[in-house]
Amino acid sequence: MEFLSLLDVTFFLLAGFGALIGIIFGAIPGMTATMAVAVCLPLTYALGLHHGLALLLGLYVGGISGGMVPAVLLNIPGTPSSITTTFDGYPMARKGEGEKALRVCVIASVIGGLISAAVLFLFAPMLADFSIKFSYVEKFLIILLALSVIASLSSSMLVGIFSGVIGIWLSLIGDYSISDGGNGKTRLMADFMEPYLFEGFSLLPVLIGIFGISTILLEAEKGVKSELSHERVKFGKGSGFSLGLFKGRLTNLVRSSFIGTFVGMLPGVGGSAASVLAYTQEKNLARDSSQMGKGAPQGLIASESANNALTGGALIPLLSLGIPGDSTTAVLIGAFTLQGIQVGPLFIPENANTWYIMMTALVFANVVMFFLMFFAIKHIAKVVMVPKHILYPIIVMMCVVGAYAINYGIMFDVWTLLIFGILGYLIQKVGLEVAPLIIGFILGSQAEVYFVKSLESFGTLSIFFTKSPIAVVLWLLILASVAFSIAMSLKNRKRDREEQIG
Amino acid sequence: MTLSKKTLAGLGSAAVMASMTFGAGIAMAQDGQLRGNIRVVIGSTSTGGDTYQNSSIVVDKLAEHLDLNMKVDAVGASSAFRTLDRDARGNTLMIFHDQSYLGHLYGVEGYENIFEKYTIGPTVAINPGNAYLVPKDSPYETLDEVIAAVGDGETVRVAIQPGGVSEIGFSALKNAVSIEHPGQEDNLVAVNTGSQSDKNQQLFDDQVDMIHGSVQANEQYTRLAEDDQKAMRFVWLTARQDTIEQAPEEGLGKTSREQLLEYVEPNVHVTMGDDETFTFDKEFFFLYNKDMDPGIVEQIDEALTEIYEEGEIQETQKNSFFIPNFKPSDEASEYLNEKMSRYEEIIDNIK
Repeated sequence: MEFLSLLDVTFFLLAGFGALIGIIFGAIPGMTATMAVAVCLPLTYALGLHHGLALLLGLYVGGISGGMVPAVLLNIPGTPSSITTTFDGYPMARKGEGEKALRVCVIASVIGGLISAAVLFLFAPMLADFSIKFSYVEKFLIILLALSVIASLSSSMLVGIFSGVIGIWLSLIGDYSISDGGNGKTRLMADFMEPYLFEGFSLLPVLIGIFGISTILLEAEKGVKSELSHERVKFGKGSGFSLGLFKGRLTNLVRSSFIGTFVGMLPGVGGSAASVLAYTQEKNLARDSSQMGKGAPQGLIASESANNALTGGALIPLLSLGIPGDSTTAVLIGAFTLQGIQVGPLFIPENANTWYIMMTALVFANVVMFFLMFFAIKHIAKVVMVPKHILYPIIVMMCVVGAYAINYGIMFDVWTLLIFGILGYLIQKVGLEVAPLIIGFILGSQAEVYFVKSLESFGTLSIFFTKSPIAVVLWLLILASVAFSIAMSLKNRKRDREEQIG
Repeated sequence: MTLSKKTLAGLGSAAVMASMTFGAGIAMAQDGQLRGNIRVVIGSTSTGGDTYQNSSIVVDKLAEHLDLNMKVDAVGASSAFRTLDRDARGNTLMIFHDQSYLGHLYGVEGYENIFEKYTIGPTVAINPGNAYLVPKDSPYETLDEVIAAVGDGETVRVAIQPGGVSEIGFSALKNAVSIEHPGQEDNLVAVNTGSQSDKNQQLFDDQVDMIHGSVQANEQYTRLAEDDQKAMRFVWLTARQDTIEQAPEEGLGKTSREQLLEYVEPNVHVTMGDDETFTFDKEFFFLYNKDMDPGIVEQIDEALTEIYEEGEIQETQKNSFFIPNFKPSDEASEYLNEKMSRYEEIIDNIK
């Protein structure tokens, strides 16, 4: 218990302050948890390792959670991992249930965060050993499983799959990077585009463009009359929130938290896949998932518990293998490097105090995040009451600043924002679907790398089926997911036909 | 006394003009000097890697010494080069390592001849940790055994990231096989992977026999028990013996300098022909926009000379397992150019 002597008031203040700043970063469209950690990383020099970690972990937890705010209220995922939060959150906000949606999100987030922290604390080294059983083949199959959600997310399966394929195609523009073991050559573009698109379209500008800017364009088309009239927005006791919303959702909550932790611990699979997978599984396994995508709290529970569970999950390979599990922990590892501390398989046994300190900071940051958000929601949710002619220009400005800042000042990222804003608008006009397209975009390039690497390593397509028992289980899950989507689609078609006859 | 509007306007304009003149004076006095906010872009996107760590140490000292606001941005190689291309004022500088010219030698897109396109700034440090590892239960005990096995017709697969620092050791090894066992070099097979995590994973999956890694990233793996799937063993550090000898005696983690010296020349011999042994020190240096004011080049050279004379930076670098290696711009340019020609030969030999 030597580490207790290392805990002081500053430590807790920094973790709490980190959570607050993280929430703000996460809540501003275009700013992410990764950015928050990157900005504050040099501070760890002055703060020392333990205080520095308290701040950074606070930022991490806050940043991931803060993403829910614009996702629910404005249909803009504050962080890539809160995409699935927009699916049900925004429809709820449009019904005037923004506060209720946010409260569901906050509770799901804190539970997801704490479950993953517990898993991290109890099983980190063991799980790290399990995670290395996932080679290129298994990672490809996990991404394929997440991609299979495209079929069940869409109102029309064919249109959904088509939109998903466009998303994947867009994700492949750029070079096959040598940092992925590729040849560094560009494809799917003309030569003159190379200076701008060498590394392809940047994820975050695409995301906020296609969700945020296109929503604003659609609203602008309707004129400034607000749909969310003041009378219809429910606040405070009348918000409709009660813990009863979680009744019967415990399985969803726990399952999604474990999915989040699990995906987080697989390096290179990425945070967005976690919430997408959790959302798919809820859609496939829930007794009644017909309301998902139209404003169902169960979708929020799945998405938010999974994306916060990422935090603990992504720290597993970081602290047990020295390999970051997601983009934010990839920056976080800098705190150790700057202090000259190695992270690797012996980090936990050799740095017990730091390990306990990190766990304390992680749990504390989750608790602070919960209290800050839960009690501030009433006020935060009032954002939707700001007149749109004032709100939207501010959002556009924040999106532009965020897009410009995300890669440290690349103007093309601002153009990407605009291009995808218009594309998102047009896509919805011609009847294509945004959600499958963006999921295809996020997962497409990873799917490609793991597919190609699997073939390079094993030299045969059959390896995808025969590599390991894990691969077989993943195939079964993929088949179940596809079968479910087809069954749902047939059921919907039958119902539509009956309604037409009726 | 009352002042008319006209008088006020007159006084105001005079004040503005005076301040502008004074301001311009300052600006002129600072010509050829760094000023404002200085951004140091690095050729890596990782803030957990050696480039960021080393750049942070140097830039922090430089900012303190010059009393300027300087910040390291991990933007990655192609972005860093492009950003540097755009700014000749001296507000953007770059720090990178040998990858900057090796990428060009290997023909990687986005890499041009840095000696032609940029001004080479001072070198600041060496990372002596560039290493090759095998699984702990590998049949190959030493690098000599690997070379002998390849010479005997056995296929040995090596996980590398193509086109740079990770590949140069592999190229040298292939070159050595072609010298010692002509015609057998194709038995040494490169498996192109990305990050260190991917390379490790390939080793865990038994998909490769040897990986490129580093003392910093892999030292803990070398201390795992042999029955652990993750356990590895160093077989080669590419650094010069001299370089490792300058590392702190305690080495890194729990591997001492003495132990590390077992894996460098002359204990490990990778021939370049004519009794010459291949070595590779991964060196960090500044790169500047070609049109940047030479006054700034001089200013940084002078500042770093003073910083290195004070001696404190060397301690910080050594504590972080870097070997201080300051060479002013002119010397660095000549030295690195020569270094590039040496490696160009190896790469040409195995083409």
